Amino acid sequence: MPGPVTSDRSAQLSALLARIALGDQAAFGEFYAVTSPHLYGVALRILRSFAAAEEILQEAYVNIWHHAGAYEVAKSQPLTWLTSIVRNRCLDTLRRRELVALIAPPDDDDAPSYEPPPDAMTAAEMLLAGADAQSARDCVEALDAGTRQAVALALYQGLTHAELAAQLREPLGTVKSKVRRGLAKLKHCLDHASCTRNR
Amino acid sequence: MNLSRPDRLHRLDALAAAYALGTLPARARLRLARVAQTDIVVAATIREWEQRLSPLSEAGPPIVPPPQLWRLIALRLGLAPERPHTRVPWWKLLAFWRVLALVAFIAVLALAVVLLSPRRDVTGPPIVVVMSGADARPALIATLTRGGRIMTVKVVDAAPVPADKSLELWMLPEDAPPRSLGVIPAVGVGRIGLPVPPEFAFARVPTLVVSLEQAGGSPTGAPQGPVLYSGKVERFY
Repeated sequence: MPGPVTSDRSAQLSALLARIALGDQAAFGEFYAVTSPHLYGVALRILRSFAAAEEILQEAYVNIWHHAGAYEVAKSQPLTWLTSIVRNRCLDTLRRRELVALIAPPDDDDAPSYEPPPDAMTAAEMLLAGADAQSARDCVEALDAGTRQAVALALYQGLTHAELAAQLREPLGTVKSKVRRGLAKLKHCLDHASCTRNR
Repeated sequence: MNLSRPDRLHRLDALAAAYALGTLPARARLRLARVAQTDIVVAATIREWEQRLSPLSEAGPPIVPPPQLWRLIALRLGLAPERPHTRVPWWKLLAFWRVLALVAFIAVLALAVVLLSPRRDVTGPPIVVVMSGADARPALIATLTRGGRIMTVKVVDAAPVPADKSLELWMLPEDAPPRSLGVIPAVGVGRIGLPVPPEFAFARVPTLVVSLEQAGGSPTGAPQGPVLYSGKVERFY
């Protein structure tokens, strides 16, 4: 069952998006105030750079202002829609940076970079704590610790298979199949949970 | 490769999952994104995975972005740059009270002008200099009566000053280099004594500025730090 908070928030955000589509500036400001801390957190954890995260958010909100009408209520919840957009932009930026780094090693710029505070949750803890629906938490708990760690690092820090392998000190093939099996398990579990939820 | 062929759906599902999770290496990621632009089955499979993982990918503590981010967005879109806020009753808004305080303060000044003007020949008309920074909002207000030797500088809304810096007030004469009037406090009210009556001191001074100097003020007698605020010298006759 989705928490009442989530559906309230979705209804609020959908209503704001509808007003933004009509050019309502106050609605846009409110939408920004409600959603930006969430999206900034997502972007900062993946990109680790304040400037890059702010650039992505800037683009995202400029697009929201221009294309709020393109949001389709039926297809996804507003925050899911936005998180996907921002996460994908961040991952694209990160991968592009890696491609460029192959050709020219990055110069050490002095731009301040984001380091999570020492008492911050680890990725795996976030995965457990943040899955606010009990059903999603059950699915995460059903994964073994190593898989949970790999999935969490990919989700929150944007690591590739190769980076996961390096960080977890396991062969690439092992990590790939671990992640693949983990995702298959999550698919089965989450889809089952959402069936029960929608009943 | 046509990924949406029925016999390849299993492969598509695995790729879309890795895309949504974010683990695909750079080239594979670009390739799949390009395919998804034209192939709706591929696009739908990716979206399905994004939805599925959303309760997990939306987790993680929020981090409030710096205020300049909103200003940049508003600037790019040509919107009013007011700080966005969730709906708060007007009487709870700090901005409302700030504006009210400012309006009240200016009203007091205006009242002072009115009250003082009949006795013009005794105290003379006041000089008022409203100094503001780049955002054009009043930051400091300097006042002085003609004949008086004490200039009062009130900090209305100035940015905080680092501990190792001081604000220094300068006269900018029309035809001479800047002359220091002294260091002023970063908050509250400061008083500066003038060596000569203001009619003479300000005779050819159209502008006052405040610069950020090392603690205790510029050692050279000329401004060395950035000018933070400036204002025109207004005489009320």
